[in-house]
Amino acid sequence: MLSCLIAESQIGPTCKLVRKPIRMALRDTVRARWFWYSILCVFCWAGWALLSKFGSREIPPETMQFLFTIGSVPIAIALLFARRFKLEKSSKGISFAILNGVLSGIGSLALFAAYHTNGNTSVITAASALYPIITVLLAVVILREHFGFIQVIGLGFAAVAIVIFSL
Amino acid sequence: MIHLAPWFWFAVVTLVSWGIVGLLQKLSTNYISAESSLIWLVVGYLILQPMLYPGRTVFSYSGWNLTWALLSGALNALGALALFAALKSGGKASIVAPLTALYPLVVIVVVPFVLHESITRLQVVGIICTLIAAACLSA
Repeated sequence: MLSCLIAESQIGPTCKLVRKPIRMALRDTVRARWFWYSILCVFCWAGWALLSKFGSREIPPETMQFLFTIGSVPIAIALLFARRFKLEKSSKGISFAILNGVLSGIGSLALFAAYHTNGNTSVITAASALYPIITVLLAVVILREHFGFIQVIGLGFAAVAIVIFSL
Repeated sequence: MIHLAPWFWFAVVTLVSWGIVGLLQKLSTNYISAESSLIWLVVGYLILQPMLYPGRTVFSYSGWNLTWALLSGALNALGALALFAALKSGGKASIVAPLTALYPLVVIVVVPFVLHESITRLQVVGIICTLIAAACLSA
């Protein structure tokens, strides 16, 4: 946004051709429901990461994962009541979601183990948050979603970050 | 031989597991609702419970730490619900997953105040690279 304003003062109104789509894209994003759900997710997971670290200082990873699951059960039960126990009967959807839970649980268990080693919380949290590399690559290969130049740059930065964290 | 910190390999396991999870979240919400996905996800968690059962030792930990552990599960489930809702309301997996991966930014801001941990300059560079990577991948 700032670079566009600078460019407008230097080269005149031609920048409006560039600025308008950016503004529209930002406005559309901020108005989109998925964006705000994503922000809510960010704050919930930040809280989760911090509380996980607090607990992991004393509690071993296996027990953390055990308790973590118990903590998530009330949310699932509340959802079941909210839906009046009516769930879709798609075997594919259910299978994906259960597998999702198992893999997610294994990932959390490893994260609790990482926190339990007394490594730096910020670094561990940042390193584990590089998982979108895998997601994006899989989304391109399996879901045929678009993969552009910017994403390639993102992968480059992710690779640098992994190398730095490994030092 | 390169010496890697003990936490590094645990973080790699998390990274790969959750990377696949990001895709599975999209696939599951293609067939069932966000709420149903979360309910079945918790069922997936419960499958692991017999292997993790700690027995009576669980009562040897302090009440506060037990509370943090239980609350972390609730917050994670709420976050997952919000993520599913984002995917269900039109967000692409290749955008929503990296965007929600920015949660470490909040953690990095809060940690120095609550845990009084410090990080090296090189680690700061690594964290900045991580955040840029997440932003680029969400573009």
